[in-house]
Amino acid sequence: MKQEFGGIWVGEKDLTRDESFMTAAQNEIQNPSLIDALGQQEVVEDLGGNRRDFLKVLGFGVGAATMAAGCDIPVKRAIPYVVKPEEIVPGVATYYASTFVNGGDSCAVLVKTREGRPIKIEGNELCTMTKGGTSARVQASVLSLYDVNRLKNPTIGGEEVTWDQLDKKVIETLSSARSVRVVTHTILSPSAKSAIKDLQAKYANVEVVTYDPVSASAILEANESSFGDKVIPNYHFDKAEMIVGFNADFLGTWISPIEYARQYAKNRVINDVSHAKMSKHVQIESQMSTTGSNADNRILIKPSQQGESIAYLYGAITGQSVNASLSTETKAALNNLAAQLKANSGKSLVVSGSNNPAEQTLINAINSTLGNYGVTLTFDSASLQRQGDESDLVQLVSDLKSGKVDTVILNNCNPVFEYSGIEGIKEAFEGANGIALAYEANDTTATCDIVAPIHHYLESWGDVEAKRGHISLVQPTISALFNTRQGEESIIRWAGVADISSDQPYYEYVKAAWAKNAFTHQNNYLSFSSFWDQSLHDGVFSYEVKGSEGSFKGDVSAALRGISKSSGADLEVQFIEPITIGNGVYANNPWLQEMPDPVSRCTWGNYLAVPVGFDGVKKFKGLNNLSDGDLAKLTVDGKTYVLPVIQQFGQAPGTVSVALGYGRHIVGDAGKNIGTDVNASISMKGGRAQYYATDAKLSSKTGKEQYYSSVQYHHTMGVTAEDKKGNEFNADEAALAPGYGNVFSGFQGALTDRSIIRNAHVDNIKQATEDLKHEREHHQGLNAETLYPYDAYRKEKYEVGHHWGLHVDLNACTGCGACTVACMAENNVPVVGKKQVSRHQEMAWLRIDRYYYGDVENPNVVYQPMMCQHCDNAPCENVCPVNATNHSSEGLNQMTYNRCIGTRYCANNCPYKVRRFNWLDYTTADLFPANQVDVNGEALPFGADNLTRMVLNPDVTVRSRGVIEKCSFCVQKIQEGKLTAKKEGRKLRDGDIKSACQSACPTGALTFGDTNMKSGDFHDKLESPLNMIVLEEINVRSSVTYTMKVNNRDKSLEA
Amino acid sequence: MTLKYFRFCTVLFALLMSSHLMAQPSADAGKTLFRNYCATCHAKDMKTASTGPALGGSEERWADYPREDLYGWIRNSQAMINAGHPRAVELWDQYKPTVMTAWPNLTDDDIESVLLYINQEYTKVPETNSGGGGGTGAVASSGGQYTWLYWVLAAALGALALILMQYISGLNKLIAARDGEEFIEKPFLKRIFTKKVISLLILAAVIVGGYTTVTNAINLGRQQGYEPEQPINFSHAIHAGENGIDCQYCHDGARRSKHAVIPATNTCMNCHSAIKNGSNFGTAELTKIYASVGYDPTTNRYIEEYDKLSKEDIEKIYKKWISDQYILSNDDVNTLDKKGEKLVEKQWKDIVSSLTNEQKDEIQGPIEWVRIHNLPDHVYFNHAQHVTVGGVECQTCHGKVEEMDVVAQASPLSMGWCINCHRETAVDFKGNEYYANYELYHDQLAKGEKEKITVEDIGGLECQKCHY
Repeated sequence: MKQEFGGIWVGEKDLTRDESFMTAAQNEIQNPSLIDALGQQEVVEDLGGNRRDFLKVLGFGVGAATMAAGCDIPVKRAIPYVVKPEEIVPGVATYYASTFVNGGDSCAVLVKTREGRPIKIEGNELCTMTKGGTSARVQASVLSLYDVNRLKNPTIGGEEVTWDQLDKKVIETLSSARSVRVVTHTILSPSAKSAIKDLQAKYANVEVVTYDPVSASAILEANESSFGDKVIPNYHFDKAEMIVGFNADFLGTWISPIEYARQYAKNRVINDVSHAKMSKHVQIESQMSTTGSNADNRILIKPSQQGESIAYLYGAITGQSVNASLSTETKAALNNLAAQLKANSGKSLVVSGSNNPAEQTLINAINSTLGNYGVTLTFDSASLQRQGDESDLVQLVSDLKSGKVDTVILNNCNPVFEYSGIEGIKEAFEGANGIALAYEANDTTATCDIVAPIHHYLESWGDVEAKRGHISLVQPTISALFNTRQGEESIIRWAGVADISSDQPYYEYVKAAWAKNAFTHQNNYLSFSSFWDQSLHDGVFSYEVKGSEGSFKGDVSAALRGISKSSGADLEVQFIEPITIGNGVYANNPWLQEMPDPVSRCTWGNYLAVPVGFDGVKKFKGLNNLSDGDLAKLTVDGKTYVLPVIQQFGQAPGTVSVALGYGRHIVGDAGKNIGTDVNASISMKGGRAQYYATDAKLSSKTGKEQYYSSVQYHHTMGVTAEDKKGNEFNADEAALAPGYGNVFSGFQGALTDRSIIRNAHVDNIKQATEDLKHEREHHQGLNAETLYPYDAYRKEKYEVGHHWGLHVDLNACTGCGACTVACMAENNVPVVGKKQVSRHQEMAWLRIDRYYYGDVENPNVVYQPMMCQHCDNAPCENVCPVNATNHSSEGLNQMTYNRCIGTRYCANNCPYKVRRFNWLDYTTADLFPANQVDVNGEALPFGADNLTRMVLNPDVTVRSRGVIEKCSFCVQKIQEGKLTAKKEGRKLRDGDIKSACQSACPTGALTFGDTNMKSGDFHDKLESPLNMIVLEEINVRSSVTYTMKVNNRDKSLEA
Repeated sequence: MTLKYFRFCTVLFALLMSSHLMAQPSADAGKTLFRNYCATCHAKDMKTASTGPALGGSEERWADYPREDLYGWIRNSQAMINAGHPRAVELWDQYKPTVMTAWPNLTDDDIESVLLYINQEYTKVPETNSGGGGGTGAVASSGGQYTWLYWVLAAALGALALILMQYISGLNKLIAARDGEEFIEKPFLKRIFTKKVISLLILAAVIVGGYTTVTNAINLGRQQGYEPEQPINFSHAIHAGENGIDCQYCHDGARRSKHAVIPATNTCMNCHSAIKNGSNFGTAELTKIYASVGYDPTTNRYIEEYDKLSKEDIEKIYKKWISDQYILSNDDVNTLDKKGEKLVEKQWKDIVSSLTNEQKDEIQGPIEWVRIHNLPDHVYFNHAQHVTVGGVECQTCHGKVEEMDVVAQASPLSMGWCINCHRETAVDFKGNEYYANYELYHDQLAKGEKEKITVEDIGGLECQKCHY
């Protein structure tokens, strides 16, 4: 059923103009009664004060002020170095090249350190895979270094011991062990692998069990049978003009998302409107994934239909007839898709997230038939990012049960949680002699007697080979904070190959390995030490590794028999890896917990996404009449979970989906009691994890979630409502002047009736840019009717010196959220926790608004990063009674915290809803820190302890309670860039200053620069005819420019 | 754990250095070079001899020889002496055994720059009043001599008021007597403190109280004149004044960082590994440095594994040094006498109390100075911007530190004080290509529409220049 909708919308509530939502959207500052009106469970508020309290507080204030005035100034100490390290200048950041690595996830990075503390992660532009891009996980990794819940000392049976005692015990255990298994996630480090080999050489019967928290083992197996190489090919999304993804979230979580996002965006950005061309992306999936949300077309299928869809597509391409119980529409769409793929032979790419080797073999067959091998996917520099095979883990569990294996060494992994779907895995591990190399306590370390705490990657030496021949180095940027030891060092010590005379035996080990291997692959350096120094400086080193050019020799007919069959069940569940916390690997990172999921916009917990039905008139209903924040019982194979619900547009009918990784049982403070563990329902068909279930039942509403923490309706811009007579008016305008309704009607944006997002089909782009030009002229004409012509004062005021601006290319933005976490890290933005998020009080300066457009049952999505627009005619500035927010000559909308008295008028008056108020003392910056800690029964906020505070950027003020804050365009980076230019006595250059969001972005969607600069990348981007200004018609003179969203949706592929 | 880090910014630094080396000779470049290479041994005024000779006029003294000889002398003096160059030998006879450090990396242009700077400093007419913007809060002394007059006047008026009061009371009494009424005389105090007077007094109290509260509130956290006692009696007057060591020799962050940087102990050791007796306090203060860093002045060696020594071991080492020096400096004592023992004990106690505090139990480790210039957390101040870019003299804000034995905060460091300077100070548009961006201002300057461009004109008063 098609239901084309003319405009853009956020969710069901604004689509239906839900009354409570409309009321709420009128107010920037939400009070509890409004949240209640939105259907919340009653929030118990204890904010009520009376006259006595007022007098108490007043008395305290006066008394404190008097005391402070009367006391001497406390003595502050200035403590210099005894011997100053040459490379440190206090007050100047030092950067080291290193590599973020966690299992199969890796990214070459630069680590920014101040006075010896790592405080920020930047991408390494020398890396040919990422070209300086990062992800949210990479950005957040610096926070886990300062995790208060880290394991801090070696323990045996829970008792603290010395390392010598631990080593002795481990060596005893290993020597007397019957059979030992090293259980690990994918190991990317060649040196670590060789360390394990040394261990195997020393002790008999040591074998390695590699698995991944979310498996891609079917691809490995399929490639082994199809091409004889058990590896993941090197995908080139930038060379593909037609991309088809079968439930592969390659822009979010699948294998190497940073690299793929960069490649993908290359063909999605419109550089030249007159010759507009973009790739076409079709995603075939049941839940709306980050990747699916970027697709031009989504073909909705049930999870169990994936195999048949792949087979049907294969049949349609090769002309074989394949039986598939798919709907007629789906079949028609797949037939058209096959035709288009054939037309794009040699420049298309089909990928699948399926974990069935037969299905992956068919995918190989499709790519092979289309002639894509050697172009869009090659075996040169093949990817090593997933090497795990969970069938080994299944085998291990049975070996442990039978007693064949009695000892396990855990290499920083958590199989008991991640693979709780394997029958009896917990008991099996409990029965073994466990030796855990672990960063934090988890469900599996709890089964181990010996726990050897490991370093964070920022404290470690190491190397990472993410793709064959792409090696990068890991170097420490801080001494170990606690009594921990690098995992690899422990292994070489146990293997007896450690150079005990050295302070850092593993450093020597890695160096020796490089001398033997990497050094021989280059000709630029004659001496190893200069090669090593250069590699350490660059962080990356690559050489060519040719792969097999073999032809496809898979058994297609066996594969066609081996695919999963459509279940025919009424309701199926898809389990997805969240882009934020992975399968629980990053669950204790508050930045990632608070980052909203790009699609569902949920934070702090996993929500059950249910499809939205449309009654054809104006009513939308979630499955089983479930609404956002309702609790419902989901029964999967007899296991029952109580989950909060979110209505999800684009969710295939008859399916629900839920994220993995939440609800870890043993986890630190941030992840405790957050979400529900659903891992037990991952079935292990044929030894391979299947991330869906077909036997599912969903109840109707059983209750309300106490703290519903999706942010999709928070900070809504330009909402249009209807008055009693049915006339439309702008809701937030009405807050200012009732009855001011229809003045602005007729502008783009439909539901919101404002120019917030514009979109166009790539084929109509010329017309769309004409329309846009016309509309902008109209806006500008209206805006020119003023007593204070902007152009005159702009010339005088803003064209002297600099005038900062930001360009956001919505066609490059994939919604991944790296920028939002980078912003929190750079600007000391506090984490507020689930309860505060449910009160609309999240503090993020940069949010990524997600809008739907098109067909309500299968919509397209556009992501819009939204931050302070630094308006030259800013409405917030005019209403501040104390002039705490005002405009600089460089076009910055300045927020001066020490002047702010917290009236929040500015937040109320901001049309973009980007100002945030510090309701509580989140980072203990207050002068009298503890005086009101217990007012609301709040626990000590994240980031309030001294360890976590080490991550703070010393160049940015830590805000105290009662002040407003917002995006500053990273003014500290602007000032730093200007100062560097001044010190060097040269002009500022384009690209000298990069805002935190820009440098974090993997696709180059954000570009910061000086609008007065008449050449350069930023200037060129500002010239694009696709550019528009959000809410240009209200004459606030924003400094942020967005592009129109262009899609390549194909009517013939709709199903 | 000694980690061998490799600086990512090495390349940048190298670039900086190379651009620097390629420059034409200039006094400015010479200043930096002088600071980095020469200032340790040669006095900054170029007129007085320090460890090395005064450099003023050296060009004339070398005028008889080819220029290359002078270059050679600066690059490697010992080579010239060994080669028997007459001027070189003459100088060696005068200054031996002090050897001048060789600077083989200096280019001819570098040396010319230094010579330019030396000449500039040598020929500079000493300023009688170098007072910059940093006026210390002047005390209004002129009012003082007339204070007594006010008191006399006030007393006279008070007496007059009393007399008048008595007079009115008398008149009232007379009126009462005339009208035949009984006159009840009010007590004296009641006659003074009428309702009107009381309300006036309260009003006055509120005004005075309010005024004082506001003034004090504004001054909260400001500490002009703050002159705390430091763990070491370090005298800037001796180091910067008498010996003319450049400020940035020790405070080397000022030119490149936001912090001026309190020097690390090893910076002190550059000189004090040789100069072991202070001119004011002998061993009393210098031994603190040695005890902090672990240097044994008796053997001229750094002590191995100093971190692990006990308090008693450390005590032995430095007490020996102090007593040896005591014996050496007194011709008439051969062993430690009573007076000496007392002195050693006293000095040692002082050393321990200076190097330790409630948080720091060990003698080893950094010297914890008392921070004098404190800005609130919400203020961003960058030394490099002011020193390197703005060319502001240290004294402008810090006062005449070279005359201070104990450093005191010279300026109020208040926002008004900062703003005032930003209003008045002109930006040097010519010297820095960065400012080429401000085309309109260049035009205005060229046309004479503006006399100067102040820091204010380029946004120096805006909030987010200092608060973010």
